[in-house]
Amino acid sequence: MTQAQIAKRQPLRRSSGVLDLAADLLGFWRRRELLWHMTVRHLRGQYKQSVLGYAWAFLNPLSQMLIMSFVFSTILRIDSGYGVPYPLFLFVGLIPWIFFSSALSSGTDSVVNASSLVSKVYFPREVLPTAAVLTKLVDLGFGLLILGSLMVYYGDPPEATAWWLPILFFIHMLFVLGLSYPLAALNLYFHDVRFLVGVVLTLWFYLTPVLYPIDRVPDKYNIIFELNPNSLFINAYRRVLLQGESPGLDRVLLGLAIAVATFLIGYYLFKRMEPGFADRI
Amino acid sequence: MQTEFSNREIEFWQVSKRFQLQEGRTLREFVPALLKGRGWTDPFYALRDVTFVIDRGETVGIIGRNGSGKSTTLKLIAGVTAPTEGEVRVEGRVSPLIELGAGFHPDLTGRENVHLNASILGMSGKEIRQQFDNIVNFAELWEFIDTPVKRYSSGMYVRLGFAVAVHSNPEVLLVDEVLSVGDAFFQEKCLAKMHEFQRQGTTIVVVSHSLNLVASFCERAIWLDHGRIVAEGPAAQVVRQYTETVPHAAETTV
Repeated sequence: MTQAQIAKRQPLRRSSGVLDLAADLLGFWRRRELLWHMTVRHLRGQYKQSVLGYAWAFLNPLSQMLIMSFVFSTILRIDSGYGVPYPLFLFVGLIPWIFFSSALSSGTDSVVNASSLVSKVYFPREVLPTAAVLTKLVDLGFGLLILGSLMVYYGDPPEATAWWLPILFFIHMLFVLGLSYPLAALNLYFHDVRFLVGVVLTLWFYLTPVLYPIDRVPDKYNIIFELNPNSLFINAYRRVLLQGESPGLDRVLLGLAIAVATFLIGYYLFKRMEPGFADRI
Repeated sequence: MQTEFSNREIEFWQVSKRFQLQEGRTLREFVPALLKGRGWTDPFYALRDVTFVIDRGETVGIIGRNGSGKSTTLKLIAGVTAPTEGEVRVEGRVSPLIELGAGFHPDLTGRENVHLNASILGMSGKEIRQQFDNIVNFAELWEFIDTPVKRYSSGMYVRLGFAVAVHSNPEVLLVDEVLSVGDAFFQEKCLAKMHEFQRQGTTIVVVSHSLNLVASFCERAIWLDHGRIVAEGPAAQVVRQYTETVPHAAETTV
């Protein structure tokens, strides 16, 4: 019996090597139907037993936008610098940020939350964080609806370059998936991880140009923003939606390279830790 | 595997499963333990050097006291956990009847949960649609199929979970104390279904405290104690040996 044959017969390997990555991804792809069911389960469960239901998907970003606009535009008088009203400028950055942060937190908690399932029956566990992230795409969609209405309201409809959005969102999603995988796995080992994610997300929010335009950042701190993929993505959203410019092919390729690398490394780490999941519950 | 004809469905080769008890769950517990040296607690062997083979179509019962390694054995067969040492090989689709309805989402309806649970067990959308009526018929839950399962009684919950699992076309069926839940009528129905599986040649592994069930339903039994195999052989014989050796074992018989 060769090692490969054993691997076929046995769903869980003790450890997986880099070469198993392709086989793992293929196995994951074969269970896409399960991924779909899981995502729908999350979605339907999300707002059940709340009176307002999906209205929360609107209320959450809307309320954040209103209070931030009041504080930073009315009180602190930050100028967007894009020649658009501040609420619009803010919202273009805030919507993807809310997607990123909510997807990362719910992805991190996904495996722990499904612990009764994980300890009973085998299925590729990456289905759990992936479904958690995909669920947040729906909230993102609602956010974009508000954004669209807001743009029409301010008489500044989206530019033609908005066709870049799906591509940018896809890259952004790969990035957040790649971060969610190892965090979801580590969260089983140390419950500190979920709190750590909360702290890091708060700091990350302020170090990403959501509230302020990137050109307000003093040159000597530029390195922080160059190294921050979220900064790259949010600047790209603003360019295509507000300025009608291409995000720049070099920037897109850089973002894609970062996202793909994060995804593959994160997925690999997740699969490495996967055989121990049921023992940590 | 096409290259070799084998009748073996489940193989355990010198399998050991070690747990570290009371593992640090937070950094505050973990870091001091790390500083003191790696093994901050004694390892605990749930299974130690266990070797057995279960052939296709066999019905095997695993008996033993609490903590003897029965559930760990089932988890290894289900592929949920990996052995620390040795090798576990399982062929075919495994359907665990372990704590049925583990994958149910309380806010979703029975219908939605059937789809989800069947999908977790590896059924395709087509298979689920084909089997859906059979599943609900078996569970006798047509009235409540569009009710959220949190409104279900525990008996209804188990019925639906069992119904999904037995319709997932398993090649290996893992049964863990399920027959102790539900009313007598449903228990009988489950037993009948399991006899049907037996006739169809499905491999069945039963973990039960009910020695009567193991003696009457299983062909073969494996007796585990402290993670080791004490005896293995025809079910009736192993059960007799067990009741003679372990004091009060017969009292736990249902």
